[in-house]
Amino acid sequence: MGTQVKDVIIKPDSPNTLLLDKHADYIAAYGSKKDDYEYTLSEYLRMSGIYWGLTVMDLMGQLSRMNREEIIDFIKSCQHDCGGISASIGHDPHLLYTLSAVQILSLYDCINVIDVDKVVDYVRGLQQEDGSFAGDKWGEIDTRFSFCAVATLALLGKMDAIKMDKAVEFVLSCMNFDGGFGCRPGSESHAGQIYCCTGFLSVTGQLHQVNADLLGWWLCERQLPSGGLNGRPEKLPDVCYSWWVLASLKIIGRIHWIDKAKLRNFILACQDEETGGFADRPGDMVDPFHTLFGVAGLSLLGDEQIKPVNPVFCMPEDVLQRIGLQPDLLS
Amino acid sequence: MAESEEEVDVLVQRVVKDINNAFKRNPNIDEIGLIPCPEARYNRSPIVLVENKLGVESWCVKFLLPYVHNKLLLYRQRKQWLDREALVDITCTLLLLNPDFTTAWNVRKELLQCGVLNPEKDLYLGKLALSKHPKSPETWIHRRWVLQRLQNECSGQELKDQAEPRGDAVSRRRCERLQRALQEEMKVCADAAGRYPSNYNAWSHRIWVLQNMAKGNLKVLHDELSSTRLWVSMHVSDHSGFHYRQHLLKALSRELSQAVERDLHPTQQPNGESTAGASDDNHRNDVIPQHFHQEMELCTDLIESYPGHETLWCHRRHVFYLWLQWRREHVQGAGSQSPPLTHTDVLLSEEPCDDGSASQAMDVDCFLDGSKHGSYTQDTKRLKRGPLLPHPGLPSEHSFVSRIITGCRSPEQSRFAVSYRKWLDSVIVAQELEI
Repeated sequence: MGTQVKDVIIKPDSPNTLLLDKHADYIAAYGSKKDDYEYTLSEYLRMSGIYWGLTVMDLMGQLSRMNREEIIDFIKSCQHDCGGISASIGHDPHLLYTLSAVQILSLYDCINVIDVDKVVDYVRGLQQEDGSFAGDKWGEIDTRFSFCAVATLALLGKMDAIKMDKAVEFVLSCMNFDGGFGCRPGSESHAGQIYCCTGFLSVTGQLHQVNADLLGWWLCERQLPSGGLNGRPEKLPDVCYSWWVLASLKIIGRIHWIDKAKLRNFILACQDEETGGFADRPGDMVDPFHTLFGVAGLSLLGDEQIKPVNPVFCMPEDVLQRIGLQPDLLS
Repeated sequence: MAESEEEVDVLVQRVVKDINNAFKRNPNIDEIGLIPCPEARYNRSPIVLVENKLGVESWCVKFLLPYVHNKLLLYRQRKQWLDREALVDITCTLLLLNPDFTTAWNVRKELLQCGVLNPEKDLYLGKLALSKHPKSPETWIHRRWVLQRLQNECSGQELKDQAEPRGDAVSRRRCERLQRALQEEMKVCADAAGRYPSNYNAWSHRIWVLQNMAKGNLKVLHDELSSTRLWVSMHVSDHSGFHYRQHLLKALSRELSQAVERDLHPTQQPNGESTAGASDDNHRNDVIPQHFHQEMELCTDLIESYPGHETLWCHRRHVFYLWLQWRREHVQGAGSQSPPLTHTDVLLSEEPCDDGSASQAMDVDCFLDGSKHGSYTQDTKRLKRGPLLPHPGLPSEHSFVSRIITGCRSPEQSRFAVSYRKWLDSVIVAQELEI
């Protein structure tokens, strides 16, 4: 009986060189289709969408092509009285979009256009007694939000605003027997959550609490014969999971445990030669989200046409150097 | 076909009304979907209700979504007033089309807070949204908020009821309401799990439900363990479904062990004789190894029947790990080579059955007959079901791996088997050495 291996086959005529100009054109044009039905559908995450687009443009040295003034005005109008920032105008504030906004303003080196003290109050106010963070005032708990909280505060230089011991304790309570992390205590390990938790432990200087060999083992098992990485066992490979797994491996000092050349081939095969941009898998539709993680992944793999990317913040290293942030990495 | 702005307005208002009328006409709609239909062909409503299925013809979505989307945002910015009924209708349409629109769920939370919506009705909308978008993170997040509110509502009633003479009946109704919600929630999770493989949001929500709505309830844990057994056997690649069973085993062994602790102390006699309660302890302590044993057997069976599934090998790792952990914590001298003293110890024996007796059913009665353990319960009878092998240990795991590798024709199966052996040799051996 044959088993269906859940993987893709990379065709010999798939793209195998990096099409940087195409990608820059694709991102530059993306924001101009504002009446598009798809654009309405994704408005609930617009702030993150802008972060993805701007970060990948900066990594490719093309940030100047984006409309800086328009974006800054947009962010200012998304800050609410509570200090939190929403995905778009008229939407409700949330930690996810607060981090994206702070990341964008860090890229533009103009964090003070918003009320920073209020952002800090907002983040502090979302910490719970057990150290966890709610995503917004309605109280959903997730390790993703722990990462958003400390990443936001680190970029603002206000790490002392929260109860750090408790915050660390909660994230560690979500560690599983396989070395991975899930969204809450007892939840299944998931590459996206692992990225958030290792990122959190890096920012808070607690990486020694990770079982790096065990976690590294699990992360390496995400690599499939095509070279792509999946986010959990028996899922298809995906460019975004390739980033989350790769960045986690970089954070815990085990990036050399996977086959880098094969992963590079997989990521390159996810480019669309005609439209520019990256898709989740070869042949699928491209989007700005996978375009950022494709380019950032290639940067972590050492591609010199792209600026070095920081694995914790998914931002250009030069931006973090300017801020004076150097999150820990294990060696 | 509507073209001008006014025409679009009229059209969309009619469609929103049609959708809400459909729900009034048939309160049992259980699924929503898009009917591929690029253009309006007849002069009729794009809302189609067939039995319990609600369909929306795709041509109208490009008018409908931006309209309800903008309407809600204008309201949120206090630029346009909408009454409560309109808010209910608009958020309903909007969320069926785009269930990750967080702010729309938040508007409904506010409507719940002021009593315009009731929790069950809102959970029903979420269920429909999940029938089309089974992963939708915001829908699952909203459900957790509503369920928490439902719980608070019920416990709030309890406080008020204490002063009233008929408090018992009210509190029973409250309890039944929560029970219904719990059961419905498990159904919603199972349905979403069936619609999308390894549905992280559905399964982690189900764990949340266990942790928050069925805290330590042994009956719920047992029911879940037996109801998901067939499901995972038919979804051997579903890592999230198997993880849920790992969680159940962990929770069950913790709760059962705590029950043993609780029973042990009040019933202990000064003369050391075992009482009925103490016999019960033995029985309970047997049940836990039985659960692990049965799970390992299920895993063996599935690995042999469906070669090359990584999920099954991951499951084996976790179950074996949990088993060793439980044994270390609860069975004294489990690792020692001393002869077994009680039937529990026999069951825990690591000796591989290569003496031919493996094919015979181990008659547990033999161990019990004439022994000091007088009680014999329904659960103990389960032991007699099939050929009973000794519980898993490192030697039996190694012989399992060797057997798989020897008879293996699937390269993936060999790869996973070799990887499992490596895991036993490094992770497990290191752990055993630490003790």
